[in-house]
Amino acid sequence: MTNQDNADVIVVGTGIVGCLVAEQMLDAGLSVLMLEAGPRVDRWRIVENFRNLPPTLRLHFDAPYPPKPWAPHMESYSDATAAEYLQLEGPNARAYRQGYVRYAGGATWHWAGICWRLTPQDMRLKSLFGVARDWDFDYSTLEPYYTRAEYAIGVCGPSDPALQWPPIRSKPYPMGPLPFGPGEQRFTDAAARLGLKNVPAAQARNSRIAYDGRPPCCGNNNCIPVCPIAAKYDAATALPKIEAKGGQILANAVAYRVETGQKNAIEAVHYFDPDKLSHRVTGKVFVLACNGIETPKLLLLSKNDRNPNGVANSSDQVGRNMMDQPKLVAELTTAEPVWTGVGPVQGSSVMQTSQGDFRGRHGGALFRFNNMARSTFGAVAAVRKGLVGKALDAEIRRLSACTAELTIEHELLPDPNNRLTLSNKKDWLGINKPNIYYDVGDYVRRSATEYSVPLVRKLAVELGATDIQVSTEFTNSDHIMGGTIMGANSASSVVDLDCRAHDHPNLFLPGGGAMTTGGCGNSTLTMAALALKAADAIAAQIKRS
Amino acid sequence: MSHSYRDDAPADFSLFRRKILVGGGLLLGGFATISNVPSAAAEALPADFANQFMEVSSLLIPHKLDRDVGLRLAAALKMKDPAFTAHVTNLIDIAEWKQATIVEDFFSDVADGPVKDTALLIISAWYIGVIVDAPDADVFAYELALMYQPTIDVMTIPSYAVSGPNGWTSQAPPLGDMPKF
Repeated sequence: MTNQDNADVIVVGTGIVGCLVAEQMLDAGLSVLMLEAGPRVDRWRIVENFRNLPPTLRLHFDAPYPPKPWAPHMESYSDATAAEYLQLEGPNARAYRQGYVRYAGGATWHWAGICWRLTPQDMRLKSLFGVARDWDFDYSTLEPYYTRAEYAIGVCGPSDPALQWPPIRSKPYPMGPLPFGPGEQRFTDAAARLGLKNVPAAQARNSRIAYDGRPPCCGNNNCIPVCPIAAKYDAATALPKIEAKGGQILANAVAYRVETGQKNAIEAVHYFDPDKLSHRVTGKVFVLACNGIETPKLLLLSKNDRNPNGVANSSDQVGRNMMDQPKLVAELTTAEPVWTGVGPVQGSSVMQTSQGDFRGRHGGALFRFNNMARSTFGAVAAVRKGLVGKALDAEIRRLSACTAELTIEHELLPDPNNRLTLSNKKDWLGINKPNIYYDVGDYVRRSATEYSVPLVRKLAVELGATDIQVSTEFTNSDHIMGGTIMGANSASSVVDLDCRAHDHPNLFLPGGGAMTTGGCGNSTLTMAALALKAADAIAAQIKRS
Repeated sequence: MSHSYRDDAPADFSLFRRKILVGGGLLLGGFATISNVPSAAAEALPADFANQFMEVSSLLIPHKLDRDVGLRLAAALKMKDPAFTAHVTNLIDIAEWKQATIVEDFFSDVADGPVKDTALLIISAWYIGVIVDAPDADVFAYELALMYQPTIDVMTIPSYAVSGPNGWTSQAPPLGDMPKF
């Protein structure tokens, strides 16, 4: 056990990255102290919060997680509330309303659990297509960490290589795939008629069996915003394990400054408690895993005489290259029922469309059938029509069954102009809010106009759509990447190939911020793999010292 | 509430998102029990009016209705609109005059206006579980809200499992097979 102000490893953030690092450190015999800005809350409370939301508010996955005054996060249910914390500007400001919650357990509380890997090509965009950057290691370097991450969090997926994405693996998934409901099967059949393969997603959801002390998925169709039974991995499930191994977790501890000392090593992290009292914690190694927005924000907040642009920022790349997968959504009405709401809220995607020689001109895209139950949508719409009796029931059933949603997520390139800086506006504690400029760029816009929107229309027609409405404004996918970008060259990147800050030998910044490029799939498994790679490096470094 | 829960924040900032206001009574921390325990206001509802509300609800909605949900709805609707009681009586009178047993028997005889609006509001509340679908609205029913029932043979009520591990398939019944509820 540690005392409250010192440990071998200080981990800031209790999301998937922080928790994976913490467990590895504890397993290596090191002491760990974790700081979490937000509260630590029982699962049942989140579930009850969700059930007691008015119907339309239930569609906002952050709504069951009201922020604490000292740990604000974006509240999406209105433009006014959304504008309170994240300060957004630029042509696609709306598309960077990133919906992470600042709670112990982090954004995996409300993730869908999807675990795509990058492909070898996704990591070599410069070499293969002349755009963006190459990762400075290849897929074969990352592959063992992907596998370890899949076993650490419990990922299910198909054993047939023809259904795997990508089918380059050193071990099978720890569990087999989950079944499709009717809607996903119909979408799969429709895609197949167009020569496209809708493959079962690798997902951190227990399939058929219990895994790591968590039960099998029972199809509660509520992965977003919370799995009521913890069949889906979320980092909240890791917190008791960390404590059982001797780790210490301080909730409601808002890190606001990283202190540097001799040789520019990190000496301490300072945090505020809810009484606005400041505390200082010291350690041998410091890991900032606060997510792709909060980590660069904390680095910029920590500027000092030795590091006038912020900690870890001699390259001026901290907060730049902010990425996501810009999303468009097609709303369909179909003549025949499609049906959603059977099984998890997401379970598959067309992934082959993320790859191709076109990537020199425009980005790839994935296509996903959204499997969230449409009954709330159908009922609210039918009731508003003023129908009664049998006509009302029939219309609810029709609108619920014969409507569907297809999501497109686009590949975005790292662009240094997409930049997080500190806003002059302050939060409840007096800490600067993050300000982000965001333009999805022509690479994404061309993908939409030339490639993804025409293709989603074909998919919709093949699914039997009689009406197709494709959104015209990009929105967020909540996959925050790039703000502490990785590379071998310290002049153009923030962290080295182990997510160690180039400027500070004992500071590690694993997670989405380190990702050099993001591909089309969500970033979580890559973040987890980078966490494990960093954990190996930290353990070796402390052992050496 | 006997159930202990964890929220490490100081009590002034505990997680209870909203205070549940029903019939003038505050139910603090009532999230876990809202669907099961009638509020004091609902319990204080005159028995005659409670019966009238359930009667008019049954005339407007041809399904099994939970009385506890009904009492809470009645109390809240009565407080919201001073004319609510009169509208309920009016609707029952029209239904009796038409010797109605289901809504289709008499609804076309309800003139456009406040009484018809009340009828639609009662139906809407039973189906979607709120009187108004707005961010700060009180929720009167979740799993008992009728909106899930027309698709209950296929769709999950979100957060409630309908089967066991991997116990679902891609099969679905015809659209015309309306579940009985």
